[in-house]
Amino acid sequence: MQLVGFPVLAGIVLLAFVANAKKSAHEKLNNPIRMASFAFSLVLFVYTTWMFFEVFASINPEQGIIFNDYKLYDSYEWFPALGIHWTVGLDALSFPMVWLTTFLLPVTIIATWHEKNGATYFPTLLLMGGALIGVFVSLDLFMFYVFWELTLIPMFFLILNWGGKNRKYASQKFFIYTFTASVVMLLGLVTLYLMQPDQIGTGGKYGTMTGRTFDIPTLVSAATEANKDGWYMGENMQKVLFVMLMLGFLVKLPAVPFHTWLPDAHVQAPTGGSMLLAGVMLKMGAYGMFRLPLSMFPHALQHFQLALMIFGMVSLVWGAIVCLGQTNLKKMVAYSSVSHMGVILIGIATMQPMGWAAALFMMFAHGIISPMLFAVCGAFKHHYHSMEIGAMRGMAKHSPWLATSMMFAWMASLGLPLLAGFVAELMMFIALWYFIDLQGWSVLWMIGPALVLALTAAYYLWSMQRTIFEGGEETQPPASLHGSPVPDISNEEKIAMLILAAFTILFGILPWIGLDMMDSYCRTFFEHMISNGIFKGGA
Amino acid sequence: MSQTQAFSDDFFSVMLPEMLLFVGLVALMIIPNLGKGTFRIPGTQIRLPWFLGGQRFALTSNPRLPAWIATITLAGAFAAVADSLNGGVDALTVVSSGTESAKELLEVNGFSRVFELIFFGALALASFSSMNRLKVEGTGGKLSEEQLYNNRRQADFYILMLTCGLGMSVVALAQDLFVLFIGLELASFSTYVLVAFMKESKAGSEAGMKYFIVGSVASGVGLYGLSMLYLWAGSLQFSVLAEAFAVSGTEALPLIGIGFVLVGFGFKVSAAPFHFAAPDAYAGASSPVAGVLATASKAMGMVGLIRMLLIVAAPESSEGSAVWLVCIGALAALTMTWGNIAALGSTNPKRMLAYSSVAHAGYMLAGLTAVGAWTWDPSFAGKEGEAALLVMTALMFHLLVLVAFKLGAFLVLSILESDGDASRLSSLGGLAKREPLLAFAMFIFMISLAGVPPMAGFLSKLLVIMGIVNVGVGAGATSLGELHWVWWLALLMVLNSAISVFYYLRVAVVMFFEEPEEGREGALPSGWQVRTSIFICVTATVILGVFGDSVLEMCRTAAESLTTKW
Repeated sequence: MQLVGFPVLAGIVLLAFVANAKKSAHEKLNNPIRMASFAFSLVLFVYTTWMFFEVFASINPEQGIIFNDYKLYDSYEWFPALGIHWTVGLDALSFPMVWLTTFLLPVTIIATWHEKNGATYFPTLLLMGGALIGVFVSLDLFMFYVFWELTLIPMFFLILNWGGKNRKYASQKFFIYTFTASVVMLLGLVTLYLMQPDQIGTGGKYGTMTGRTFDIPTLVSAATEANKDGWYMGENMQKVLFVMLMLGFLVKLPAVPFHTWLPDAHVQAPTGGSMLLAGVMLKMGAYGMFRLPLSMFPHALQHFQLALMIFGMVSLVWGAIVCLGQTNLKKMVAYSSVSHMGVILIGIATMQPMGWAAALFMMFAHGIISPMLFAVCGAFKHHYHSMEIGAMRGMAKHSPWLATSMMFAWMASLGLPLLAGFVAELMMFIALWYFIDLQGWSVLWMIGPALVLALTAAYYLWSMQRTIFEGGEETQPPASLHGSPVPDISNEEKIAMLILAAFTILFGILPWIGLDMMDSYCRTFFEHMISNGIFKGGA
Repeated sequence: MSQTQAFSDDFFSVMLPEMLLFVGLVALMIIPNLGKGTFRIPGTQIRLPWFLGGQRFALTSNPRLPAWIATITLAGAFAAVADSLNGGVDALTVVSSGTESAKELLEVNGFSRVFELIFFGALALASFSSMNRLKVEGTGGKLSEEQLYNNRRQADFYILMLTCGLGMSVVALAQDLFVLFIGLELASFSTYVLVAFMKESKAGSEAGMKYFIVGSVASGVGLYGLSMLYLWAGSLQFSVLAEAFAVSGTEALPLIGIGFVLVGFGFKVSAAPFHFAAPDAYAGASSPVAGVLATASKAMGMVGLIRMLLIVAAPESSEGSAVWLVCIGALAALTMTWGNIAALGSTNPKRMLAYSSVAHAGYMLAGLTAVGAWTWDPSFAGKEGEAALLVMTALMFHLLVLVAFKLGAFLVLSILESDGDASRLSSLGGLAKREPLLAFAMFIFMISLAGVPPMAGFLSKLLVIMGIVNVGVGAGATSLGELHWVWWLALLMVLNSAISVFYYLRVAVVMFFEEPEEGREGALPSGWQVRTSIFICVTATVILGVFGDSVLEMCRTAAESLTTKW
């Protein structure tokens, strides 16, 4: 409750404060508003970290965090006529994402400390954070959808007001593309809602007018327990709803071929927008899959397992191939996100507890690494006024800090051992191996993902070579600087990079901090499905 | 259900809002003439001698006075309706007085009360914010003929606003097609003149003319339909018609008659293909009036459609789908798609809003279609009422909240109009720099129209979709093929919502991204009245979206009172 309300209210209050001030005073307001936003985001970060130690770290490891069991659960009536409640709760799916959001907010503020029009920029970031947290904590379909769409508005303004040259096009494309997918998902949600057996007069979670509920735990229990033998609400219908919901999430993720909004949005978005977009907003897609269709339609999941696998493989390979051809640094990073989201999809499609845990951990790790990638891109753009790979050679000489950060981020993203991304990729490969073994497929199927590892290394190393190292004694400063001395990154950017790097290493060496709860969640999920006879026994 | 005779004591107490409007009307006619020796007949320049006198009093010659009288009257009527809704409405039927068998004329119940709320709310806001729109040429002192004339026009404008409100509430109350038609024409004629009232531009009179011609053709067709119904049933009472329809509703004569009547109401809700005059009328009228057309006038048309389709021509709950099901379903699909696609191409914000209003009419028609399909599934028996109630609740809630964000959007344009012009998209350019709060308000209205949560527009659209899907899935379809086809209307509706985001978002981009037009920098001129109205609209849009539960319950109770069939 306070997790959502706090940043949203803080953002609104600060914005209202700015709107009331005279236009000439906006410049003066930049600093106090920035400090206030930073303080607010820091409070949130401390709060969720405290929450981790207090609640999640202290849970009996034997028992772990189990499927469909929520900590810090709270529920209030919202629209009793329709069975809509303000229900919040955290489990192993949502807590890492919430923590990630609150972690990225202050880091983003630090990394973009000198963004123009800061008086409105920083409160918008806070609003964005609040909406994102809202998506992750809500346990009510209606509330989930409200926050899901609400995230579009601050992001739309972040791109439109602070974005690059082509921001008008990019912001509209971003909004319309994801909105279209979301309304189809909404129809799916409404259909799901009305397919429930009528409970008029039951009260409680059920609407007085419709006799149905939007409550996610109730729906999940009904779907996984009520009907042990057959399909919940009919085979065909479950498939239709699965597809409708997945469409919304696949676009958000994004998976090839629904990814075309992402490069535009990323390239045009300001650094802070990109960091949140890649760090958390893309994860909304994966999170939504876990929360809704995967938990509610396990039968349909089995049916579409191969389709998901193909989506994942195609995203993985296609994203990597497109990366090779990019000359724009930010676009390359954007496509690398598509590729990494493919890893998540493959992890899900293996339908192994380990694959799911890999997907969850990938969401988390990518949420720390990709903001660093975009922070590097942002610093590049900010200081060299260009994003072209090869516009500058021998960066290591001119700007050692930026070169080091870039190298670290690039390495983390391509999955260097001891860094967070490696853990997830390794687990995904093991799960994929299990999957191929179970299906009785040829080992050749491993070639795709393995090839992509090489491709990933290729595009990252190649771009590093062309920016950081080449040039020898005669380095080539970017032409866009017009001869002025080449600057290194600012102190604030250094701090942000250091924080991100530190956490990348932390979760690379001690992945169990986050992995434990994800693992126990996935294990209990599969145990639950197998004991209810929905999944056949497996690894 | 209790009855009372027209003009009895009960009648006056229950018709308090209408009586208030009547008193306001008389006051508007008399008060501006006080102190003068002649009485001007409203709407004309003819003056009749009445009392002795000379110069008008300072107070009564104040050109702002009529606006205040009208606003206070409408707000009072709104408050009276809200007050009576608050304690639950006891249905009361007004029957004709006299010795012959009593005929039902009007019925006051929750349903009509909610619609009165919509009409009076929209009109009160429009009157209040029109206060700055009509030219006022100073008060007292020496004024030329032209200036005096401009000042006197004020009274005419607000008289028309009140007659419009009176006519609309008669439509909502009517239990007899003839009474309904009287109310409809009273309201329509007022709107024809109101549309033409913007004499500042040439578009005003042209729009008024077009709107009048198309509107009277539609009314004529509707009247022809009425006469056929009368010929067939020998009565125009809803109760009599409904009984007759249940017995022999599939005959050609009543079907053709109802079809003609639908044309008349279709024009009012601006359903395609009867919408052609709407964009011209909206673009030519002054923005508050256009806002009234898009909200109150549309709600009036919906009342007519609901009465005709759901009361007169509704099937008994065991008899299968309504005869008009396919026809209205096709009309809904056509209307929403046409409206959205036409809105994509319009660069005039008022035309765009007009087309978006057409699209919204399509969504509501889709809801009506779902009600007509309620009995398609035999295993659904016993729950038809619930299904129909959900749709009706959704429709009423939608019409109610539409007042907030549709009228609000027109009011923002109204401020721009008084700045010079609002007929191009670029007129909105740089609004975020000129007036950040206004731009923010407009943005809220736009995303609410598009149906983005957590605005009221989202909740109302969700409810309509819910109503349709509820009928579509019936008692539990297990495959796509088992769904009733109205479910596909819901799909079309969400896809249309996605299309509509294009043009709503374009407004936001122009406001926040583009530079202002040349010579139009700086803050906008306007009085506090219209800004207060916009503030009310924004607040209502957000509050009803987030905490709309009590209003939802109110609509639900109102829907229950519509008919005992459910």
